[in-house]
Amino acid sequence: MGAEFPSASALYEAAKRVRDAGFKKWDVHSPFPIHGMDAAMGLGKSWLSAAVLGGGITGLLTAVTLEFGPSWFIYPLVVHGKPVDWRTVPAFFPIMFELTVLFAAFTAFFAMLIMNGLPRWYHPVFNWRRFSRATNDGFFLIIEARDPRFTELEARELLEQSGGEHVTVIHED
Amino acid sequence: MSERSDIVPTPEGEFVEPTRFAPLSFLLALLGLGGLGLSVVGAFVSPHQFSFSWLFAFAFYFTMLAGCFFWIIVHHVVDAEWSVVVRRQLENLSLLLAVMVVFFIPIVIYRHHLYEWMNIPVGHDPVLDSKRGYLNWHFFLVRSIFYFFFFISATLLFRRFSIRQDRDGNPAYTINMRRLAFVALPIFALSLTFGAYDWLLGIDYHWFSTMWGVYIFAGAAGSSMSLLVLVITALRKAGYLKETVTVEHYHIMGKWMLAFCVFWAYIGFSQYMLIWYANMPEETEYFIRRNTESWNALSLFLVIGRFFVPFAILLLQGLKRKPHRLCLIAGWIVFMQMVDLYIVILPALHGKGVLVSVWDFMPLLGMGATLAFVFLWIVRRSSTFPNRDPRLLESLHLVN
Repeated sequence: MGAEFPSASALYEAAKRVRDAGFKKWDVHSPFPIHGMDAAMGLGKSWLSAAVLGGGITGLLTAVTLEFGPSWFIYPLVVHGKPVDWRTVPAFFPIMFELTVLFAAFTAFFAMLIMNGLPRWYHPVFNWRRFSRATNDGFFLIIEARDPRFTELEARELLEQSGGEHVTVIHED
Repeated sequence: MSERSDIVPTPEGEFVEPTRFAPLSFLLALLGLGGLGLSVVGAFVSPHQFSFSWLFAFAFYFTMLAGCFFWIIVHHVVDAEWSVVVRRQLENLSLLLAVMVVFFIPIVIYRHHLYEWMNIPVGHDPVLDSKRGYLNWHFFLVRSIFYFFFFISATLLFRRFSIRQDRDGNPAYTINMRRLAFVALPIFALSLTFGAYDWLLGIDYHWFSTMWGVYIFAGAAGSSMSLLVLVITALRKAGYLKETVTVEHYHIMGKWMLAFCVFWAYIGFSQYMLIWYANMPEETEYFIRRNTESWNALSLFLVIGRFFVPFAILLLQGLKRKPHRLCLIAGWIVFMQMVDLYIVILPALHGKGVLVSVWDFMPLLGMGATLAFVFLWIVRRSSTFPNRDPRLLESLHLVN
């Protein structure tokens, strides 16, 4: 079920009411990011940072294995008269750094895609004509029917009370 | 839920009462006089050791204060909003650069102990002779005077504009400061870079490193942000800036500390690795001295303490939002900046290993206490934050 709001601040206030009503499967759509919306929606900390940390550590360990494995154990080779022990580590730092950044960046990118459910070519909200203005000058709040608290009557009442206009039920097809 | 704060500051600003820090000022005056007095004793008892200890203390304070000046310019150049509430303390701190002129006088007097190239007559060292165009006493003096002239006049101007705006709220001052900042930025870069070459690299006139200036700058910017965290927290503890500076500001300052922690490591490692890898005698000299004997242990301590430890801790988001814990890290980073400059300067004197002398501490204590004394005198001469800056409200309502 979708509702349109006249301004970013109206949407912000409405989000707080929907949050306090206890809904979980809902989202807001606006043409630009709204400061403080995360808190107004009651969103917790995303798990993206944990995933990126994991990716970074994996990259670091990959570099350590690929560098120290051959240079210490498999095929020790004196290069440039540098010692074949832990003191060679300055030569390996750039690669450790690069692989850490590479893996962390890839993790961030793919985790972002997963979290957003992308790539996704179609969504039922596209059936609502007014919604195309979400990228122009419209502010929308959409509560999904799969939310355990969702009843059509209650959601409609809540959205209308919090100042929503054009409250519409959007169907799958 | 952290909703936006809706504090509206009083247009009168917030002033430190004149007698608020009187006992502390008295104590600092005693410490300052004591430290400087004992330094004078050191200058006569052990002039060679004194000159290096003095340069060490001078470089430590100078880099941090110059770093504060850097943050002011950057604030104006990028038209930053968040830093409006902390800007006045940066202005107060960088004004202390005027005091550093006085502390530069002993370096001029004891220059023959510090800078060996001043003692070698022409024709004795072909390497030095090829650098005479730059490394000569008159040009050295002219450059030093220029650096101080620039730093002091620019900090005075920024502070004057800022305080005048406190009185009449004229937004034209903001525009003027922005214009000034664009002029000051390149001159600042050149002054700090060549200042680092003249005063610190000049100890070892054979060695050269094109990354030297940016290395000193990286340490300066990171430690001055840490110093700002300490000063702001101290003022909040004393009962000022309570409503104006929030955890959001601490969060941003913590992020800058993290960023410059990484930047310092990046620059320091880039300088080290290229020299280590190429392994050319005329370049390795500097690092051989610092990576042998007990200096090696101190260098390793620097790498771990200045980069790995604060980096791992500052990565945590929650910590940056806890002022007192962030203060512990900030204090640690300031301490590591001191260790960094100790490793830059003192190995030239004690090549055989770390030898901490009692004279190392006197200039450090004397200068530090004097600067803190002058700071307490400056801090009460204006509002603790720019109370009529056009972007004050945005800064107050900052959300990360």
